[in-house]
Amino acid sequence: MKKWSALAFVLGLALWCQCGKKEPAITAGKTTVTFWHSFVSSTVPALNELIAKFEQENPDIQIRAQYIPTGDALIQKLITSVQSKTAPDISWVHSDYLEDLVEAGAIYKMAEFIDGPDGLSPAEMAQIYPALIQYASWRGTLYSLPMEATNLALLYNKDLFRKAGLDPAQPPRDWDELVACAKKLTTDTDGDGKQEQVGFFLPIFPATGPLGGWMVWQWLPFLWQAGGEIINPEQTAVLYDGPAGVAALTLWQNIYQELKLSTYTTDYDVAFASQRLAMALDGPWNLPRYKTLLQNFDWGFAPLPQGPKQKATIIGGEYLTIFKQSKNPAAAWKFIKWIIQPQNQAYWAMKSSYLPINRKVLEVPEFQAYLAANPNFKVFVDELEYSMASRPIDYNGLQITRHVAEALERATVGKIDPATALRESSAKSNALLAARTQTGSARP
Amino acid sequence: MAPSRTYTASARKKEGLSALLFLSPTLVIFSTFVLFPVLFSFYLSFHQWNMFSAQQAFVGLANYTRMFRDPEFWSVLKNTLIYTVGTVPLNMALSLLVAYLLNQKLAGKKFLRTAFFAPVIISPVAAAVIWRWMYDPNFGLVNYFLTLVGIKGPNWLNEPHSAMFALILMAVWKTLGFNMVLFSAGLQGIPDTYYEAAEIDGAGAWTKFWRITIPLLSPTTFFIMVMSIIGSFQAFDVVYVLTSGGPMGATKVLVFYLYEQAFKFFEMGYASAVAYFLFLLLIVLTLLQIRLMKSKI
Repeated sequence: MKKWSALAFVLGLALWCQCGKKEPAITAGKTTVTFWHSFVSSTVPALNELIAKFEQENPDIQIRAQYIPTGDALIQKLITSVQSKTAPDISWVHSDYLEDLVEAGAIYKMAEFIDGPDGLSPAEMAQIYPALIQYASWRGTLYSLPMEATNLALLYNKDLFRKAGLDPAQPPRDWDELVACAKKLTTDTDGDGKQEQVGFFLPIFPATGPLGGWMVWQWLPFLWQAGGEIINPEQTAVLYDGPAGVAALTLWQNIYQELKLSTYTTDYDVAFASQRLAMALDGPWNLPRYKTLLQNFDWGFAPLPQGPKQKATIIGGEYLTIFKQSKNPAAAWKFIKWIIQPQNQAYWAMKSSYLPINRKVLEVPEFQAYLAANPNFKVFVDELEYSMASRPIDYNGLQITRHVAEALERATVGKIDPATALRESSAKSNALLAARTQTGSARP
Repeated sequence: MAPSRTYTASARKKEGLSALLFLSPTLVIFSTFVLFPVLFSFYLSFHQWNMFSAQQAFVGLANYTRMFRDPEFWSVLKNTLIYTVGTVPLNMALSLLVAYLLNQKLAGKKFLRTAFFAPVIISPVAAAVIWRWMYDPNFGLVNYFLTLVGIKGPNWLNEPHSAMFALILMAVWKTLGFNMVLFSAGLQGIPDTYYEAAEIDGAGAWTKFWRITIPLLSPTTFFIMVMSIIGSFQAFDVVYVLTSGGPMGATKVLVFYLYEQAFKFFEMGYASAVAYFLFLLLIVLTLLQIRLMKSKI
């Protein structure tokens, strides 16, 4: 008997420990919606305020927001959660993930909710920037809705401009001016081969590393400014190795060589804050941090310099999707629908410095006042008019992005001729696309 | 002792059953976390699966043929070989030297042994972060010490060749202590009488080392060589944090390639095929080593 009671005790202890691990008790009577996101810690207070506002207006719903690091970690966690039937109700997703999530049957088509009883009218849908709708879809079907938008602008140190004899009210407006300014702002005053100040942060990272895709994302505006595109509409061949791509990559190679750049660093914000960096590409998500971080010098944002063919910057953002495993899809939809309303978008934009997804927000009086008081934020909002989305790559998007990243790395760090680097990458990409056309079937 | 007459077949069966019961926790854990993944992985290597879908598509040997046709696979294999050839001999030689020196009468032996072993216990990620800073061309310690001797250090992690060298150095530093401990144990297992006899015959230090120490260490050496080769073929964590496989894939080793295929591009079937290739390769290498060393152990 003693043996059995000992065994029972141990088993009971083990079970009790498992119970103790469960999350804090859910308030009775409320529908809980789990929301996975990757907002950085400086944005979380704004997120909590947004959620509080929603819960105030919808007392029967409780949002449980959970932070998941973005990038590889997010998609891996999503996969494992779908497989283990513990998927959240709502999650952030990137358009790259939609292919796999849709093929696994894990997420809802947004049309099920938009065309439903508590849906959105065509007029409301039309208010959303089309570029965001494109990112939120896969093969033409909408699978997510944008929560906020981001784009890219030029961050620059006005004091360093003055010191170099440049006019801070005239930031570089095109590629030639960008290179010229960057050169002027790169100094090695004691001639020891180490630069005390670098004029421009070129976002070069190892193509095989976690930031390879991020590097490509920042190169795309330059590709478009030269009149290029990444893939053809029929999805049969890539176009990034055309003359526009060569021009854009040559620009990057020039900057890399002229400024004698040499290290992979990721902390451009630290370098900028310590005034060792004069210019960088940056997005609105850092504005809340910069207000406190960059205190002792004059800095600002300017629109991205325009290219030979057009002005362009890239639009990004985070997209919310509802998982089929959700037990409360209606409540989840309520939250998403609430977020995209103009007044809530205005509230969110003003709190988080993310950009609104909704054109109507520009008409909200508080938002206009906020823009007048925050000229740096206004730069990003103004850019929304010509912010473009990348043409979606329906299949093998991740691999093709990797090929582009390899070309970028090889032309800059590897000093290979841009046309050659791009051609070698496009050969690999086109081979992948051709293989798919031959087998004629989507990945299982 | 002769078995008692009451030790019947059923009693034996009962004993066997209770033995199984006692083993069951370990068997369950082993089956779930080791046996099942190994078998499932073998099954997957003949299929194509992106981890999301419920079904896996059977593709026969397509993953294996794709592997041998992919130029990236061969360059990755080459990188892994370079890495192994760079780390294993250097590691074994240095750890033997350190173990030998620390086996003599020396002050501060305990402290030195701890100091050499410390890198083994540091998390590889923490170590790689530290080394990444040390290798920084402008502010790093490595280049600083080089300038003190008048050498301008290279841009370690951004040039393809120096990156592999930098990785090898760090890897040797990380595992040296472990092999040193094994060699120490082996050295202490050699009876002093052999050395005394050699001294009587007038042998010098080098002769003693070459004719006594090395041969009598061969079981330890063999073990360390096999384990080191297996370990270096499986290197992943330090590569991931130190160089992310860069620059331009110069330090991309086999397991990194496998990881990418599995968790970046969601090609579980293909990654499983690569994993089984590695498994077979290591079996062949280990058998080769056993065959070569058979006479000498």
